[in-house]
Amino acid sequence: MQVVSLRSDAHAESEPLSGRKPASAMIEIDHVSQRFQTSGKQSHLALSDINLTIDDGAFVSILGPSGCGKSTLLYIVGGFVQPTDGVAKVKGKAITGPGPDRGPVFQEFALFPWKNVLGNVMYGLRQQGVKKAEAEARGRKLLEMVGLKGYENFYPKELSGGMKQRVAIARTLAYDPAVLLMDEPFGALDAHTRTRLQNDLLDIWDRQRKTVLFVTHSVEEAVYLSDKVIVMSRSPGSIKEIVDIDLPRPRKRADLLLDARFQKYIVDIEKMIDDGKDHL
Amino acid sequence: MTARGVLKTLSPLFACIGLLCVWQIASLRLDTESFPTALEAIKAIPSILGDKGSLLNILDSIRRMAIGLVLAVMFSIPLGLLMGRIKAVAAFFNPLMMIIYPVPKAALMPIIMLWMGVGDVSKILVIFLGVSLPIIYHAFQGSKAVEEKMLWSGAAMGMSAPMRMLRIVLPAALPEILTGCRTGLVLALITMITSEMIARQSGAGNILFNSLDMAQYDTVFAMILIIGAMGIVFDAAFEKLRLSLVRWSQPRDDMPLSFT
Repeated sequence: MQVVSLRSDAHAESEPLSGRKPASAMIEIDHVSQRFQTSGKQSHLALSDINLTIDDGAFVSILGPSGCGKSTLLYIVGGFVQPTDGVAKVKGKAITGPGPDRGPVFQEFALFPWKNVLGNVMYGLRQQGVKKAEAEARGRKLLEMVGLKGYENFYPKELSGGMKQRVAIARTLAYDPAVLLMDEPFGALDAHTRTRLQNDLLDIWDRQRKTVLFVTHSVEEAVYLSDKVIVMSRSPGSIKEIVDIDLPRPRKRADLLLDARFQKYIVDIEKMIDDGKDHL
Repeated sequence: MTARGVLKTLSPLFACIGLLCVWQIASLRLDTESFPTALEAIKAIPSILGDKGSLLNILDSIRRMAIGLVLAVMFSIPLGLLMGRIKAVAAFFNPLMMIIYPVPKAALMPIIMLWMGVGDVSKILVIFLGVSLPIIYHAFQGSKAVEEKMLWSGAAMGMSAPMRMLRIVLPAALPEILTGCRTGLVLALITMITSEMIARQSGAGNILFNSLDMAQYDTVFAMILIIGAMGIVFDAAFEKLRLSLVRWSQPRDDMPLSFT
């Protein structure tokens, strides 16, 4: 499956290169640059001329050192940040702001602390005018899916980090976005919790096959989860390389850790990052 | 309830009794006419509250205080929230607040009286001015501290900017807002009494100063006790309300400064 294509010519229509399963483009990023004003008259080029197409149903990771603009790129797709130059599109339409077709999951969880777990998951549906009973039924089902059955009435302050992120994932899945935008979602979690959430995310993705754009600075996490890994470098933030991860699915962590191909992907990508002046 | 729990619940009562004892002893020792004993002051309370005129005066004070407070809350919360989220609004109101903040609002009373008379309008306006600033300040701080990503999450759900203000910024800033309101409540009581001392026409402050003029010192101290008790009751009632509204944000073992 052709998942990502780096296009040299932004005006060319994106077409699947190999026709096994013609996938349609979900996200297109066209000559996108982002410049931030720093103190005085200085400005910092956070993203320089990014061109990228992400196909429907793909799991794509963006990997790079801090300051390479990987989160900014995600925020542009989310519509939270307007690019200085260029255009980002979702399903062929230029992105002008946030919308329920693109659901974010943040490292900081960003739950609504005044709502209990069920209230958080129902929130988006209620805002969209879904009837209470229906929203509640859907919320309970999602909480069961993310392994939080029985925690419906807990408040965010009473949950561990891993549980909070499960709630955040359920809250975003509730309004059924076509694209999941995950901004270092497991970055604040301990190693054990992180592994469990990675596995659960893969399970959910296997079932729903949403397009996932996943920002991380962990090479192993990116290789384990993704169909494609976009390696970025900084100053200015740009795409250095795109690596297809040709590993069978469903993936089992225990098998992969012993798999020479998995190990080679990790070593190769780490080398790419080390080659430059960038350091993770 | 454990012995310790009982002790904790009753500790404010012990503090009150202790204070009254110190007062009683000090008064007996000093033995001056202008410092009645605690017992004499307490004995004078029923005659004040039993007098229809005095009671109506006190209720009048409470009414003005409530109106000033409610108006201030209705004005200050939206303004503070807007200041916290919209840079232009903050840039306009911030310097204004910095100038007004240190001015004692009661000092404006003579001018306000000159323009608006000695009636309800002047007093309510002074209470309004006294109460507004801390509420604006806390609403501003609370609104400014709302996590950007929480608002982004709301925006991704399709919530418009006004909806995010009402349904995300307001509840997220509520603990901070209510802290401001608690300060505002006590300030309302203070400015209420002060305004009545300056515009001596009616109210609890007026009774206090009239009895001072007539050298009825037991009534003076009884009024101080009544006003103090009002403050404690209002504050305790508000704390109860506040805690029930923001239970989600309070750490479990937090001991708030209150009588509840």
